[in-house]
Amino acid sequence: MMSERMRESLSALLDDEANELEVQRLLGQVQDDEHLRQTWVRYNLARDALSGHPLSATRVDISGSVRAALAAESAAAAAGWKQRFLRPVASLAVAASVAATVVIGGQQLVDIGADPYGQGGQAVAASASPVGLVNSLGATSVQASYGTQAVPVLQPATHTAYRELARLRMNKYMQDHVEHAALNTPQGLIPFARVPEIRE
Amino acid sequence: MNRQPLLHAARARLCRGAGLSFIFTLPLFAGMASASCPGADAAALGWLNRMSHSLHEISYNGVVTLQRGGDMQVMQVSHAVDGDSSSERMTRLTGQGAQVERRDHPLHCVHPGHRLLQVGAGLQAGECGIADHYRFKVEEGERVAGRKAVRILIQPLDMYRFGYVMELDRETGLLLKTQTMGRGDKVLEQFQFASLSYQAQEPASAEVNLVHQARHPHPATAVAASLAVPWQVNWVPGGFTATDAPSGNAARRSYTDGLAVFSVFLEELGRDIRPGEGVVRSGGTTSYTRGMDLTGQAVLITVIGEVPVNTARMVADSVAWTN
Repeated sequence: MMSERMRESLSALLDDEANELEVQRLLGQVQDDEHLRQTWVRYNLARDALSGHPLSATRVDISGSVRAALAAESAAAAAGWKQRFLRPVASLAVAASVAATVVIGGQQLVDIGADPYGQGGQAVAASASPVGLVNSLGATSVQASYGTQAVPVLQPATHTAYRELARLRMNKYMQDHVEHAALNTPQGLIPFARVPEIRE
Repeated sequence: MNRQPLLHAARARLCRGAGLSFIFTLPLFAGMASASCPGADAAALGWLNRMSHSLHEISYNGVVTLQRGGDMQVMQVSHAVDGDSSSERMTRLTGQGAQVERRDHPLHCVHPGHRLLQVGAGLQAGECGIADHYRFKVEEGERVAGRKAVRILIQPLDMYRFGYVMELDRETGLLLKTQTMGRGDKVLEQFQFASLSYQAQEPASAEVNLVHQARHPHPATAVAASLAVPWQVNWVPGGFTATDAPSGNAARRSYTDGLAVFSVFLEELGRDIRPGEGVVRSGGTTSYTRGMDLTGQAVLITVIGEVPVNTARMVADSVAWTN
């Protein structure tokens, strides 16, 4: 049974909001936890679906990002402690990207069942090992870079279509939601001011 | 203590509609601070309880502002207590000329969110209630709408909810100002009285071209759009409880922890959707929409509420058909 705390960390990781400890803990646990892997893949499918990449391409990008991270790590090592010291935030984000790589790269995508990308079959990850990518690159060196090295950050894909959908749904459902906020929060009818256009 | 539930049971029919038993007891605060509750602070919880009562039991009217980012809205609010029921009204003074009304709301009708704020009796019984999920602290407040206020700092104990800074009227316990605090103590949204009078009579009406009667959860008036197959939300953060009792086929579920509310909406789609998610934030409100395949059926799940996006995502991820 996957703990609530772990799912929370996964979600935070997706938003680059996980801290270093969480990333390390996740790395430790995904190896043994099938549910955790599946959840992570579902979160990522949802997040990356509109990036326009088929899943196979996503995997290629991601394994590339690990190489980039490792390359940047050695570059940063040459740059001296001052620069490294001044870039802790970027490093954390990178830690998250790398962790994403680890999980996605090793995931047997057949587990999630659906093939949302219309490739006519279930995608199967290249590596048989759950954490194959990290193992092949050396888990120790990747972990050693957390929080200290400045490396490039993967930019999240734009989700224009889903953002627009979310905006439409917010307008559609806000009033129904606020009916409950008005009865169950201390502000009385004031939450109705959040409704863009009140309907009768 | 004992006569209160009896008194309310006699009137409960007026309010009961949604299948909730609105039975409550009036908490006592004498020596209730329990060391075992992480966020318990007797003074703060006492104020919280007082606030939840004053909201219903005091007559007032005033002008309230809502600030979200650079946007400010102004509204007139009034609340009038007449015998054992109250009527309230909110009129927009900027933007849309709309008014929202709730008439004849029985005073004994305490909805789940407000009951969660009345934790005194539970604390003595060893139940921390809301003090399990927030840490409370009382401070000297500022002046709000000309009234001296007491400030309650409300800090979430996990990452599923926002924090709040509330200013209550020192004399009446009425909530004068609410700031919703996001990550890094960023103010996401702020409600505040600009003027306040403890009189039921509200001044001359503004121009209004739409009047909405606020709804009251009741099975008979339940959501029109029903689904063919019942569904359920398998996870909500600790401390959240349903605000009403919709059928398994209803398109909406709502939950509250006393300070925040979020609602989950499920739509069945006629055709496949490319899986994905989208997030829109407006002040303290997050709207998270997720398109996915739910065991063979394409669905759109929207979680909208005053919670962080993480919470919305995790709730959406737990939606399943009821077998």
